[in-house]
Amino acid sequence: MKTTFTSRALTALGAVGLTAAFSLGSVQAREPFTQAELDKQQKALWAVSKEGYDLWHGSKPSMSTNGLGCGNCHPDGAAANPQTFPKFIPAFNRVVTFREMINWCIENPQAGKALDVTGPEMLAMEAYAFQLHRGKPIEPGLASRQTSPVRVEYGKGFPSKPSMIGKDTRE
Amino acid sequence: MADSKIENSSKREFLQFSGKAGLSTMVATAAGVNLGLVDLVHAQPGKKVTPFRFAVISDSHLYSFKDHKFDTQLMDAIEQVNNLPVKPDFVLYGGDIAQDGTMDQLEKGKKILSNIKSKMVIIPGEHDWYVDMGTGWNGLYGANNPESGQRKGRKEYWSFDHKGVHFVGLNNILVDDFWTAQKMTGVERQTHMSMLEGPWGGLWGIHAEQLAWLKKDLAKQSTDTPIVLFSHAPLWDYYPRWGFGTSDGAEIRAMLARFENTFSFHGHVHQTIYNKIGNMSSVGAMSTSWPWPYPDVELAFPQSRQYRADPGNEADGMGSYYADISPAGINVQHQPFADSLTPWMKNGFKA
Repeated sequence: MKTTFTSRALTALGAVGLTAAFSLGSVQAREPFTQAELDKQQKALWAVSKEGYDLWHGSKPSMSTNGLGCGNCHPDGAAANPQTFPKFIPAFNRVVTFREMINWCIENPQAGKALDVTGPEMLAMEAYAFQLHRGKPIEPGLASRQTSPVRVEYGKGFPSKPSMIGKDTRE
Repeated sequence: MADSKIENSSKREFLQFSGKAGLSTMVATAAGVNLGLVDLVHAQPGKKVTPFRFAVISDSHLYSFKDHKFDTQLMDAIEQVNNLPVKPDFVLYGGDIAQDGTMDQLEKGKKILSNIKSKMVIIPGEHDWYVDMGTGWNGLYGANNPESGQRKGRKEYWSFDHKGVHFVGLNNILVDDFWTAQKMTGVERQTHMSMLEGPWGGLWGIHAEQLAWLKKDLAKQSTDTPIVLFSHAPLWDYYPRWGFGTSDGAEIRAMLARFENTFSFHGHVHQTIYNKIGNMSSVGAMSTSWPWPYPDVELAFPQSRQYRADPGNEADGMGSYYADISPAGINVQHQPFADSLTPWMKNGFKA
């Protein structure tokens, strides 16, 4: 699969070179993505980010046994900029990835069950956090330097209805 | 020492603000413009004040779970206040005693708060309010607060005079109805309001009824009486997206303009913060539940930002504070559970 993709990509690059050499007016290896294709890609990214938003706000009960969700301490993903990872975290006494940090928060302040680091839910959490930090510099750093959240204009954001899942009214 | 530091710093900050063309944040720009109006002559509460102390505990966010860590953390703050060598004349609870606004949480809060050895007055936060629009909260906590000309059954805002100071408690977490059109239940409405970045509530305020009451209440006070306002959210535009502000804050501050000394003490922000707008000094409270990051806003007094040396330290960034009022001014001392105060705040500061 990978090989096929790579060979296709190389072929495409070759085509770009040839096209560029013979036609100054056109440098495209293929037609650009159609609007329909772009819409599909955007929709897929948005769906994953939206799932991350729900998880961030308590939609998966196993992530917490004390009612706390990521959003309690990290509204709008504040102080949780994935672009500052790998980062030294005193609780680990070593440099960790963003995904490890997410699981640390789930297991410690939230006293919940960690997510599969390669699973779709972790991907969704990461996608949401990245969405919120678009445009921020990539700056691996130290935990002691608090990262600023992205300044979100007042507005709809992710206007999903409260899921009511994972709330403290389960018992 | 702290005084001159505050004044110098604020002037410097103002110059920074005014020098930054195109600063995109409405909040910081507004703060900068407002700072321009401030000559920052430190407030003196006046000769008729008899010295006394009050303490503030805020934002406990109690869950329904039995033996939840936040129950213990609230007790820790109560112990801090009860063990003060100089007792406070009263304790203000600054709102958000509950997390989900349910009766069991409000009742648990009342039970834990009954351990406070001083008299307590209380104002609501948004987490206490939106399941039933304050009915449960008023029923449980209204009796703590003074009768002061409010509409019957509305003791979430109040005022009283104590040793030469006029104290006012406000309910500034009221938003316009977004729930009827969406056919939301009370619990759904609360769940939405409980989310700091919830998109539907918009910036809250005290609204018309309280504005009219406040105007009447303040009209009776002479200009040399120090006015201290308690509210859950700040009375200045800090970061409206997270409810760090009050929609009618400008109107409130306009009412205060004729007074020589005005102070605002608020909760909601879960962090140490200090500001001065017009003639109003403003002090924020740490929570007893969890600390919040500072939003991406340039502060007029950046040195009031607490240190978060180790975000993994769960005791870090929370606590209570007390304020000593005397004819010389108001001195505020934060009491963190762990060592998270900036040097500027460690030995108290003059508000």
